[in-house]
Amino acid sequence: MKKYILLLFIMFPFLSKAQSVSGVVFGDDNNGKQPLPGVNVVWEGTSEGTASMPDGSFNIENRSGRNKLVFSFVGYESQTVHVRDNDPLEVVLQPNLELEEVTVIQKDRGTYLSVINPIQTENISGAELHKAACCNLAESFETNPSVDVSYSDAVTGAKQIKLLGLDGTYSQLQVENMPALRGLATTFGLTYIPGPWLESIQVSKGAASVLNGYESIAGQINAELKKPDSQEKLFLNVFANNEGRYEFNGNTNIKVKGDTLTTGVFVHASDLSKENDHNHDGFLDSPLSSTFEVANRWKYNNHKGAMAQAGVTLLWNDRMGGQVGANSDMILSVDNPYGVNIETNRVDAFFKSGIVSKDNHRALAILTNFARHETKSYYGLSRYDADETRFYGNLVYTQDLDIAAIHVLNSGASFIYDDFNEMLYNQDVQRTEKVPGIFTEYTFKPSDKLTLMAGIRADFHNIFGNFVTPRMHFRYQFADHYTIRTSAGKGYRTANVISENTFLLANSRPISWTDDAIQEEAWNFGFAFIQNYKLLDRDLSINAEFFRTEFQQKLVVDRETSSEFIYLLPSTEKAYANSLQFDVRWQPVKRLDMLLAYRVNDIKETIGGELKDAPLTSDYKGLINLNYTTNLKKWMFDYTIQFNGGGRIPRVHEEWMDRANIAGDFFEFSPYTIMNAQVTKYFRYWNIYLGVENLTDFTQNNPIEGTDDPFGENFSATNIWGPTMGRKIYLGLRFNLNYE
Amino acid sequence: MKKLILLFTMAMFIGFAGNETFAQKKENKVVCFKSNMDCADCEKTVTEYLKFEKGVKDLKIDHVSNTILVEYKDGKNTDDNLAEAIEKKGYKADKITKQEYEKIVAETKENK
Repeated sequence: MKKYILLLFIMFPFLSKAQSVSGVVFGDDNNGKQPLPGVNVVWEGTSEGTASMPDGSFNIENRSGRNKLVFSFVGYESQTVHVRDNDPLEVVLQPNLELEEVTVIQKDRGTYLSVINPIQTENISGAELHKAACCNLAESFETNPSVDVSYSDAVTGAKQIKLLGLDGTYSQLQVENMPALRGLATTFGLTYIPGPWLESIQVSKGAASVLNGYESIAGQINAELKKPDSQEKLFLNVFANNEGRYEFNGNTNIKVKGDTLTTGVFVHASDLSKENDHNHDGFLDSPLSSTFEVANRWKYNNHKGAMAQAGVTLLWNDRMGGQVGANSDMILSVDNPYGVNIETNRVDAFFKSGIVSKDNHRALAILTNFARHETKSYYGLSRYDADETRFYGNLVYTQDLDIAAIHVLNSGASFIYDDFNEMLYNQDVQRTEKVPGIFTEYTFKPSDKLTLMAGIRADFHNIFGNFVTPRMHFRYQFADHYTIRTSAGKGYRTANVISENTFLLANSRPISWTDDAIQEEAWNFGFAFIQNYKLLDRDLSINAEFFRTEFQQKLVVDRETSSEFIYLLPSTEKAYANSLQFDVRWQPVKRLDMLLAYRVNDIKETIGGELKDAPLTSDYKGLINLNYTTNLKKWMFDYTIQFNGGGRIPRVHEEWMDRANIAGDFFEFSPYTIMNAQVTKYFRYWNIYLGVENLTDFTQNNPIEGTDDPFGENFSATNIWGPTMGRKIYLGLRFNLNYE
Repeated sequence: MKKLILLFTMAMFIGFAGNETFAQKKENKVVCFKSNMDCADCEKTVTEYLKFEKGVKDLKIDHVSNTILVEYKDGKNTDDNLAEAIEKKGYKADKITKQEYEKIVAETKENK
C-alpha cells in the first residue's frame, strides 16, 4: 500500500516548540487540496494522539520520543510520516478509492462503489457525468446500472426514474443533503437540475440515515452541486442535437474575499422549437419546450470551524406537447388539436450553516430550504392548476462520545411545512402538512473495518398522526477482499395522489381518487456482498446485492379494473419489490474501464384483488459500459448498451375480451436494447463532444393509442415502456477556465 | 442495424489499437526537469498545462521529488520550449539528466 501513498514534505523551516510537532493535513479530492479536519494523528505503536482541527492543523506532543506519526481518516489512505525534526509538516492524504501510482497521471474513476460508507452507495463523479453529456439530472443515469430512466407518458416529456425497480417517488431526492424536488416537482424535478451544475451524484440503496427524514423507501439520490469556492473560474457550455434542442450553460465563481467568502452564478437556457413527428402519428415525439434557470449561491468559510452557505434558484419552464399544430393560446375544444401545455414557475432557496467545536468532537449544523412552485396546465380538455409552498428545516448535533470517535451520536429535530393548492376537474383541493420530528442516530466504529449505525426518529404529522421510523445499517470488511453490508429500515411517504399522477390525464379515462393525500409505508431490507481484488494489477470489484421492499400501505394506480376511470386508491394489500443485482468493474486493458451489470426485478402489487406484476416495468436489466481514455486523457470514448427485459401492459378486462385475438404485444412488451456512444476530445481550455443516444433508433410502436380521435374513448398516451424518441445525435462544447 | 453496431465496435477497437502502436513505434524524446512545485495543486496545474503542449506523449510529474519528466515526439517540440512552458506557469525548470531524475525519484521514495 505504501507505494500508493503520497508524501509529506517540509516547508519553510522555522523553530517550533520543543518536543512537539505541528502541521496541516490536507485531503486531495477532485477539487484539489482541501484542509481535512478530524484526522487521527497518532504516534505509531502508541495510543497517544490527537485529531486535526477544522482548518486541518494539528499539534502533537512527543513525550515518548517516537519518530513515526500515523495519519488516518475515513475514506483516505492512512499514511505514516517519519518525523526527523520539529519542522511543521504538510501531509496530503489521498482518497483510498483511487489507487494509482504517484507519478502517473491518473484516470478519474467515473462511478465507484464505496466500501467505507455503511450504506450501499454508488458515487457518480464529475468524470462520469462527462460520459453522457446530455443535459440534466434525469439524463445523468444512462451509464448507471442501478437507476432506470424512462418517460412516464408520450406527450409531456416527463422523465421517471426507478431505483430497485420502484418508481422514483419511492426514492428520496436530495440536493446537497436536503430533501428537494418533492411534491409538485416530482414529475419534472429531475429535469430542473442542469448537468453542468452538478458536481457529483450519490445513489444509495435501501434504508437511508434517519437524519434526512422518514421519506426514503427504496433509497436516496443526492445531487451535489458545484460549490462557489471550487477551482472553476468560468465555465461555458453549448449543446445542440438533431431534433432541434439547444442549450446554453454558463457558470462563474467569484472570490469576493479570498477563500473566505465566495459566490457563484449559474445560468441555464434550453429551447426546443422544432416539431418532430418521426412516426407520423400526428403527435409530437417530444414536447416543444423552453427553460430558463438562474442561480446564485454564496459560501462563507472562516477555515476555523464555521461555515455557512446560502443560495437561490429561479426557474421558468414551458412545455407544449400533443398534436402537431396545438398551441398554448388555443381554446380547449374538440375542434382544436389535442394539446398538453404545462407552464411552471419555481423558486428554490436554501441556507445551511455549521460550526465545529475547537476540540473537534462536537458539531452543530442547520439545514433549511424553501420552495415555491406554481403550475398551470391542461391535458386535452382537462385543466390542472396547482401551487405549493414548502419549507424544510433540520438541526443536527453531532457528538463524539470518546476521543477516538469510536462512538458517535447524531441527534436533532426537523420540521416540514408543505402547503398544497390544486384544482382538477373544477374541484379544489387544499392541504397543509406540518410535521415536526426528532431523531437520534448512534454510530459505532471501532475500526476502519466495521461500522454499525442504528437510528430512530419520531414524527408528529398533523394529518397522519405520530409514527416511528427505525433504521439500522451494518458494514463489515471481514477480510481484505470482502465487505458485507446489511440494512433494514422503515420508510414513510406522503403520496400527493393527483400531482404525482398528472401524466395519467393524457388518457381518455378521467382519474378517480378517494383521498388527495395518503401515507405510504414500507419496510426495506438489504444485503450486499462486495469483493475487491487485483487482476492483472488492476482493480477488480464484484458486487452482489439483494433488496426487498415490503409495503404496508401503498398508493395503487389501477388502470385495468374499469373502462370508465383510472383509480388511484390506497391499498394495504400485498405489494413488494425484490431486486437482485450483480455488477463487475474492471480494466481489461489499461485505461479501459468496463462495467458489466445485471439486475432481476420482481415487483408485484395487488391490483383489483389480484397480485400482479407492476405494469410497464422490465423484469430485468443488463448494462455494459465501456470507457476508454488515451494516455494523458486527450480523447475519451464511451459506449453503453442496455438490455431491458419485457413486462406487462395494463389493460382493462373488457379490452382483453374484445381484442384477445390480436397481437401478443397488446398485453406484453418484449425485451429491447438501447445503445449510446460518445467521443470527447480535450484541449487545454475547452473540450468538444459528439455523441449519439439510442444508436439503433429503437422506439416503442404506437406510443399513443387512438391517435385518429384524441378526444375519443380509445385515446391513451400513458402505456409507455420504451423510448418514444429515436436516434439523437448531439454535439457540445465546453470551455473551462480555472483558478490556479 | 447490426452493421452499424459492428462498424462502431470496429471503429472503436481500431482507435484503441492505432493509438497504442503509434505510441510505441515512434522514437520519442525524453527530457527531465527539477522544479519547485511543492504542492499537489501545482502538480495538477503543470500537468494540465504541459499535456497540451505540442507533441507531448507522456508525463511523469511529482511534486514530492519536484521532478518533471516529459516524453514528446522528436521534431514537434524542443526541451527549451517545454522548459519555457513550465516557467510560464511560474515554476522552475532546471534541466537534469535522466540518471539524475531517476536518482531523485528513488531517493524520495526511500525517505517516505
